[in-house]
Amino acid sequence: MEMTRRQFLKISGAVAATLAVIELGFDEKGAQAKSKEFKIAELKPTPTICPYCAVGCGILVYSKGDDVVYTEGDPDHPINEGSLCSKGTTVRQVYTSEKRITKPLYRAPGADKWEEVDWDFALDKVAKNIKETRDRTFIHKENGLTVNRTDSIAYLGGAALDNEECHLLQKLFRAGLGLTFIEHQARI
Amino acid sequence: METIKFVDVTKCDGCRACMVSCKNWNDLPSEIEEFHGSYQSHEKITANTWNVITFNEQERKDGGLDWLFRHSSCMHCVEASCEKACPEDAISHTKFDSVVIDYDKCVGCGYCVQACEFDAINLATYIDKNGKEFRKAQKCTQCTDRLEEGMQPACATACHTGAIVYGDKDDLLASAEERLAKVKERYPNANIYNPQGIKGTNTVYLLADKPSTYGLPENPKVALSQVVWKDYAQPIGKAMLGATTMAVIGSFIANSLNKKNESSEGEDHHE
Amino acid sequence: MTNHWNDLKHADVLMIIGANPAENHPISFRWILKALEKGGKLISVDPRFTRTSQMANVYGQLRSGTDIPFIGGMINYILENELYHKEYVAAYTNAAYIIEDTYSFEDGMFSGYDKDKRSYDKTKWAFKKDEEGKTLQDPTLKDPNCVFQLMKKHFSRYDIDTVIGVTGTAKETYLDICKTYASTGEVGKAGTILYAMGGTQHTVGTQNIRSYAILQLLLGNIGIQGGGVNALRGESNVQGSTDFGLLYDNVPGYMQVPTTAETDFTYQGFLDRITPKEGYWVNKPKFYTSMLKSFYGDNATKGNDFGYDYLPKLSAGRNYSFMRLFDAMYRKELEGLLLFGSNPAVGGPNAGKEIESLSNLKWMVAVDLFETETSSFWQKEAGADPASIQTEVIFLPASSSFEKEGSVTNSGRWMQYRWQAIKPKGESKADLEIVHMLARKLKDMYKNSSNPADMPMKAMTWDYGESDHPDIDLVCREINGYDMKTKQQVKIFGDLKDDGSTCSGNWIYCGFYPENENLAKRRDSTDEGMSNFLNWSFAWPANRRILYNRASADLNGKAWSKDRVGIEWNALEGKWKGHDVPDFVVTKGPDDPTFIDPFIMMAGGKGAIFASINEGPLPEHYEPYENPMKNSFSSVQLNPAVQFGEEEMNAQGDVSKYPIVATTYRLSEHWQSGAMTRSQEWLAELVPHMFVEISEELASEKGIKNKDKIVVSSARGEIEAYAMVTKRFKPYKLKEKTVHHIGMPWHFGYKGIVTGGSANRLTPHIGDANSTIPEYKAFLCDVRRAK
Repeated sequence: MEMTRRQFLKISGAVAATLAVIELGFDEKGAQAKSKEFKIAELKPTPTICPYCAVGCGILVYSKGDDVVYTEGDPDHPINEGSLCSKGTTVRQVYTSEKRITKPLYRAPGADKWEEVDWDFALDKVAKNIKETRDRTFIHKENGLTVNRTDSIAYLGGAALDNEECHLLQKLFRAGLGLTFIEHQARI
Repeated sequence: METIKFVDVTKCDGCRACMVSCKNWNDLPSEIEEFHGSYQSHEKITANTWNVITFNEQERKDGGLDWLFRHSSCMHCVEASCEKACPEDAISHTKFDSVVIDYDKCVGCGYCVQACEFDAINLATYIDKNGKEFRKAQKCTQCTDRLEEGMQPACATACHTGAIVYGDKDDLLASAEERLAKVKERYPNANIYNPQGIKGTNTVYLLADKPSTYGLPENPKVALSQVVWKDYAQPIGKAMLGATTMAVIGSFIANSLNKKNESSEGEDHHE
Repeated sequence: MTNHWNDLKHADVLMIIGANPAENHPISFRWILKALEKGGKLISVDPRFTRTSQMANVYGQLRSGTDIPFIGGMINYILENELYHKEYVAAYTNAAYIIEDTYSFEDGMFSGYDKDKRSYDKTKWAFKKDEEGKTLQDPTLKDPNCVFQLMKKHFSRYDIDTVIGVTGTAKETYLDICKTYASTGEVGKAGTILYAMGGTQHTVGTQNIRSYAILQLLLGNIGIQGGGVNALRGESNVQGSTDFGLLYDNVPGYMQVPTTAETDFTYQGFLDRITPKEGYWVNKPKFYTSMLKSFYGDNATKGNDFGYDYLPKLSAGRNYSFMRLFDAMYRKELEGLLLFGSNPAVGGPNAGKEIESLSNLKWMVAVDLFETETSSFWQKEAGADPASIQTEVIFLPASSSFEKEGSVTNSGRWMQYRWQAIKPKGESKADLEIVHMLARKLKDMYKNSSNPADMPMKAMTWDYGESDHPDIDLVCREINGYDMKTKQQVKIFGDLKDDGSTCSGNWIYCGFYPENENLAKRRDSTDEGMSNFLNWSFAWPANRRILYNRASADLNGKAWSKDRVGIEWNALEGKWKGHDVPDFVVTKGPDDPTFIDPFIMMAGGKGAIFASINEGPLPEHYEPYENPMKNSFSSVQLNPAVQFGEEEMNAQGDVSKYPIVATTYRLSEHWQSGAMTRSQEWLAELVPHMFVEISEELASEKGIKNKDKIVVSSARGEIEAYAMVTKRFKPYKLKEKTVHHIGMPWHFGYKGIVTGGSANRLTPHIGDANSTIPEYKAFLCDVRRAK
């Protein structure tokens, strides 16, 4: 990935701003100290493409440690040229939202709440469920014809995923496991 | 070079990127309001929502319909009432002609809030580390910190139709005139809003209809009382009573005029 | 899109019908406004006045579900007034083709209908061939059985008064639209049509789009810069996920899935069935075999038909599409459901019934960023009784688009790379990693099996690295394809082979990763002409930016317009040159008789005015499944080729009980089911409440005031929402009567920061006769004040 000179000028050398808006919180002193620093000073942005509609606008993501501190339209992107709509503009909160689920969750039959589980447990469950249902419902041959399918497991989704993910999902669920019910948002 | 922000509402498609780009740059918390009966999210500008897209629908003379959008925010008046009203000299013009508040000086008296004819400045309430409430006036800064870095205000950067642009004053005013001539057929009442009663503003509009359609004063002026206050009473009073007392008086005046004194709860927001 | 976003600026007239890009694709307006600044005209056709309508020069109202009359009337106007692009129509479309005498059309029905199957025998509409198998043509377009004359006759019934009596459009406005848009039929002019789900989400959705295509072919607007039929796709990678075959009836690259039909017993038989005799698709066996090689690697050999038998075979004739999937779930035929970023409890039609069906599952896996209404359908909040729901649910937290890397394909078919900006939040993982870990686990579970049923899992290759974190570069290389022996990347799909010597996961993407550069990562935004940005990312196919661009040049290979040069024939160099990658054989010159056959994917190379799809070769108006009036064009009320699903899933409302037409849509500030946007503070703040838009006239009839809480009911269910009384909704003034309509966003549900009633509790569970896309856009309802 290459950054053009224009971007470079905008993001580097940013030092103290005289009148940054301060983030007034309970720690007044801390907040004021922060006000002296330009919020994207010395941060290197990473280009991405907006996750919402299919215009495909470019966005620059400024992250610092475990935080996304700012996002803005990519000025070098030929479609949006730095601009964005309301959704593209707020993409930072896709990361920062407190509603994000950050641990695998499990809901036992009949239970009224989730329980947090680890990835091993969760993926084992998924794999066992798939295998158990597939093996029990799999039709290898039908009227002498090899059909290698199961009509008892369905797959939905993909319009928000990457191409590489779609390729692997399609490969695993159709070419490997023999699912017939493979659908996604394009159908609705 | 003198610079202004120019807002051509006839190019606005109401996407509201300007609203959230402001929040995103300035780390402002969200304020969910009740249902207003239209697409408008906030009744007006608040201490944490520095610009609001207004939505107005009206029938046209030719039988058609207009759904008028306007990015409303601080006008950055050349002769700014808020600046005149401030007892603490906390409000001033920058070298970009933007009107900004010095948070160290602001005591939250709210006099500026009362003075602003555009409802563009408001008090935010915060809680300090001892649990004590305090207030500060808040409003659009024209992203002066970005201007310092040679960047555009966040709303102008985000705007995809070019309805909000920031740049050379002469160029933009000239192009505003050209654009006005172009849109007159579609919007016969279109006009450039740059009120001279306050010596113009540093946010200039091309409006599709009369200012009153958008709730804007036709001919705003700095009230004589504010001029008297700022240029005479305050300097004298300060000398006699001390700055803090004067601020209390200012605040008392503001609160007793109280029609629009609103504050927002300080929040430890998500970042 | 046949064209792409930047290209919108080249249009003289843009007609937006069945789309609302100012709200759903806002950045499109950056380019639309550039067209308008140069004097271009924008037409907005929509049941309601939208943010797009405000930006338009002309707004035309049409009743939901009457696109075919609206466009049919325009086609008739253009034919009657001879405003079409005569050379283009005669040479580049199938207007001159002669149709068999067995074709007929009477009272809304084409010949060959089978009432019991609700389907047609399409051979009745075949092109007439001579002894050598060549299609008979009449270049004068005068033969009464040629496509042009049949089309003319068909659409002559769509006269202006009948049309506006059905659509409710004001006559002056309609004529203005006809005239303005028809002006693009002039040689050298460009008109573009932008559509989205407003076009497709109808029982006649595919024919709606066909009508746009016919209009564009008549005006010579396809293949040229500033023209095209442009589907504005609504999700960042819905183009890619469709390209990659995440649909029951498509494998990657728009090829068929084998079935139990007799033809498909052998690979050769299957290939014979799916491979046309003419057009570029004759290469399909190369693409298919290369795809099988990408699935099964060295386990796909000539001896085992390249693993053809490993592929699942659909039950012949069975439809496995989204609504049929839920029908099966409702009947308890499905045990497991895997959701990768999908929320049908809000987004599916007749969502109440679909949610009910979810509890019939034994297990569900939801991979998502946020807790969705679907993944939590068992909760008390959802109105469910958790104790009675035996579904085991596993939620796997996914990381968002910039917490991982990979590419997405936009509406203009640009495959653009997204780099990783931050490590995944918490314990979340990229979907790529999740599917990789799952596949490795499953492959391990099957590795010692000798059961022949498990062979597909064993044969499937999974060579993306040995750790839990897959090497995405290896995935990219496989998608593009390589030589099986040398492992050299294939340069272009033309080099793919049907002998098993090459692999390619998706032939239409073949060429994005030649040699050692992933072209999706390119960031050179230099405009080298006509804003095609050939060095920015990669556009499939073959980095081509405007599809069918051969048609941008005239019969001699010269651009129709100097201002809109796509490609031109360069006689000196003996090749096609210009601002785009030619959608044509580069060296094919005027000496070749097929020099004037620009539509290379079509048999015969001609644009299809006449094309046999399920309900007929020409678009005909039928009323929506739920409708307020009798069909004015024939005695046939509903599209005769529409298939019905599970009856229990789809109660039908009658106009006597539900007299109001309703439609659903999206807003700028939210996205799809709202799972992402309602979980963010800033977007939640912009639109925090579920509302229903109603006209002042209807509000006054029902005693509803602005901001009142109202109840909307349909035959499927009811929801509560705020009333938004607006001038932007006007009753439809139809010939027979005045009909009220309402509209509402479908973004809301009970999870997230802001919540509200789900519009899809109201929508019908019936869909288009070809695509089975549900009819979300036109149904009947009633409204009342909430108590």
